[in-house]
Amino acid sequence: MFTGISITRLFKPIRKVNPRNIVLFLAILGPGIITANVDNDAGGITTYSLAGAHFGYTLLWTMIPTTIALVVIQEMCARMGAVTGKGLADLIRESFGVKVTFYVMIALFLTNMGNSVSEFAGIAASLEIFGISRYVSVPVSAVLVWLLVVKGSYKVVEKVFLVACMVYVAYPIAAFMAGPEWGTILRATVVPSFQPNSAYLITMIGLVGTTIAPWMQFYQQSAVVEKGITIDQYSFSRLDVIFGCIMAIVVAFFIVVACASSIHMQGLKIETAADAAVALKPLVGKHASALFAFGLFNASLFAACILPLSTSYYICEGMGWESGIDKDFRTAPQFFWLFTIIIVLSALTILMPNVPLIMIMFISQVVNGAVLPFVLIFMLLLINNRHLMGSHVNGPAFNLIAWGTVIVMIVLTLMMLADLLAPGILGRLHGS
Amino acid sequence: MTMPLSELFLSAVLGKTVIDQAGKEIGTLQDLIMTRGEVFPEVSNLVVKGKRTTNLVAWKDIALFNPFVVSLASSYRLHDYVPKEREILVKRDILDKQIVDVNGAKVVRVNDLKLGSYKDVLCIFSVDVGFRGLLRRLGYERIGGRIATLFKKELTEQLISWQYVQPLELNTSRLTLTMAQDQMADMHPADIAHIIAKIPSRNIQTVLNSLDTETAGEAIHELEPELRSRIISQLDSEQASDILEEMAPDEAADVLGDLPEEKAQELLGLMDAEEAEDIQELMEHEEDTAGGLMNSEFLSVSPDLTIDEALKEVRLLAPEIDTVYYTYIIDENDRVMGVVTLKELLINPPTTPLSEIMTTNLKTVTVDASPEDILEIIAKYDLVALPVLDEEDKMAGIVTVEDILELFLPYALKRKRHHHH
Repeated sequence: MFTGISITRLFKPIRKVNPRNIVLFLAILGPGIITANVDNDAGGITTYSLAGAHFGYTLLWTMIPTTIALVVIQEMCARMGAVTGKGLADLIRESFGVKVTFYVMIALFLTNMGNSVSEFAGIAASLEIFGISRYVSVPVSAVLVWLLVVKGSYKVVEKVFLVACMVYVAYPIAAFMAGPEWGTILRATVVPSFQPNSAYLITMIGLVGTTIAPWMQFYQQSAVVEKGITIDQYSFSRLDVIFGCIMAIVVAFFIVVACASSIHMQGLKIETAADAAVALKPLVGKHASALFAFGLFNASLFAACILPLSTSYYICEGMGWESGIDKDFRTAPQFFWLFTIIIVLSALTILMPNVPLIMIMFISQVVNGAVLPFVLIFMLLLINNRHLMGSHVNGPAFNLIAWGTVIVMIVLTLMMLADLLAPGILGRLHGS
Repeated sequence: MTMPLSELFLSAVLGKTVIDQAGKEIGTLQDLIMTRGEVFPEVSNLVVKGKRTTNLVAWKDIALFNPFVVSLASSYRLHDYVPKEREILVKRDILDKQIVDVNGAKVVRVNDLKLGSYKDVLCIFSVDVGFRGLLRRLGYERIGGRIATLFKKELTEQLISWQYVQPLELNTSRLTLTMAQDQMADMHPADIAHIIAKIPSRNIQTVLNSLDTETAGEAIHELEPELRSRIISQLDSEQASDILEEMAPDEAADVLGDLPEEKAQELLGLMDAEEAEDIQELMEHEEDTAGGLMNSEFLSVSPDLTIDEALKEVRLLAPEIDTVYYTYIIDENDRVMGVVTLKELLINPPTTPLSEIMTTNLKTVTVDASPEDILEIIAKYDLVALPVLDEEDKMAGIVTVEDILELFLPYALKRKRHHHH
């Protein structure tokens, strides 16, 4: 179904369960799970919380199609990484030339800069719930993130990240504590429903848009390359991708459920993920509220590590500059300066009073939406290039799903862009 | 070819309109095909993309070739362009690709290529890997230059002569185009290891193939253990066992110890029986003990020799052995009696019996000694190597100061050390 090869091949590694295969899978585990989990960052949690709080269970049906789209796209990146041994930025540079690469990188820099700002905002907001001032939490986190990269190796960093992924369990627990109506939820998950108003439409687009972001494709592919996964071990890597995507969506699902079962039931209005955590306190209890806030902190910190790092990596990759955690400012100046600039600017933005945070988020989202179609189309062209991929190009069935996904994504993204740039246009088009 | 051709950049001519003598448009310049040249690779044909067809034009049919005009001579012939398996297209295969800068021991990306005429033929002189080349490709060279002037700096070109360039993508059959492959073999194995760690895994084979087995072995040993076992498992077993045979037995044991049991046994089976046995013995020891660290090859002679006789023996044995500064004196039961240094052998009269000058009461360790113990003894007594005794007190091998340093110097420091030399 997913691969165009056949579903049996997809799950082939599972059939041969023996101790050696399990060890091999655990060794290869990582890139897919980490990428998918970082996806549930401060921005993601905010979107899911708002979706649950404002629209209850009515958006849950988008979760299954989104999972499929996410798996389809991320699987292609992992496959390209394993076959070519090169990152996505590398491949774009080599196949489409330096100009295209340059502008894609500028756009990625801008949008990831905006995302990093929102991660630090998430850190500040979540820890303020625990009574820690942002003037303490933000600088300390920024220094921590910076040190991890300067002192750490990929192996250490990956282990830390995998542990961070476990913390997402906080959300299912918070959801169960909210005492949801499982029957209604199950129905809402499998039966699509639709509300013909622009607020609903925009939230739906936001849900999909926040789940599939351009940086993920670059990060996933680079992580596969960095890990040295080859096509022989690829069947395990594919499981890693599928497992990660499902895990990420399950977490997203429970965030929606937690907010829908409590905040939406009471008809409260919230604006941010931190609002959601605070609102849970009187409704569900202080433990659920703390779990929610801690989850937000973990996710924000986690993404604040990955985003600046991966941005520096693929910009250097594409431009042909030295990069790597094991270098220093003298041997890989561009890499370390990019990384430092992103962290310092993002942290400062949060600490400075009167910074137009909403404007920054707005621009970042617009750029995000504008780059995604290009990245997806480049990916499809690259993965179907026999010169690069040999026999590992997409099969016809997979191509159909992949192009379908990409076209739906592009249409949704363009709709979101239209609404961001001209608010209300969707509602007018819809006639409501 | 009559025109004088100064040097120019590939980016300046790619995409230019190609015209004939009458000024009629033939198409745009899409690529250049290069072949092996006398000194530098030569451009044999131009690939010109017309409205409907893609054509080949031979270099001799070109009248003008500069950033302003690319024009054909009066009697030119157009051939249909049919891609061939082995040919190299400069834009498709070199531009924007990764290459190895043999001199700087780095993997870099080609931002531009410098072309020029050599004996009336268009040649590739050098590749531009610098920031200025990047700006030129983006069309911001002038603006970049102006900004640099504001900061009282100059945008310098970072050109690497083709001589020192080793493309990675070209398969072995096409490698005849590059001169760098010989120079790569002359690089320090640590530098080659640095390059191998940087390039996509599918290109590693190309690089290893351009090296002799011994250099390849040394380079592989310099890699981080994880990458090392990955590369060995990806090589075909025949080649892997050849490389392992060229390594010192303790190094080979290191490498094999990290591989899955099955693979290690397969490779051992392909190796020379005696060598395989040596390695297998070393592999049986715990990695972090004297037994795991030691090298089973060392110089040993019997005690009844004179210096002259001992030196003859040393000359005979030395080619196969890494550490030759110490010659151990071993009795018929393989017990170590003493040691003489190379210096002692050289400065004493040739007829002196070894037993007169050898140092006795040697410091030794057993196979299960910890690296810390070894470090302490080596540091305290200023030794180059330390004998390791097995359970029956027979001399099993030596641990050198190098083996110990490698263990205690952090990886990052080691890398830096290689960078500065």
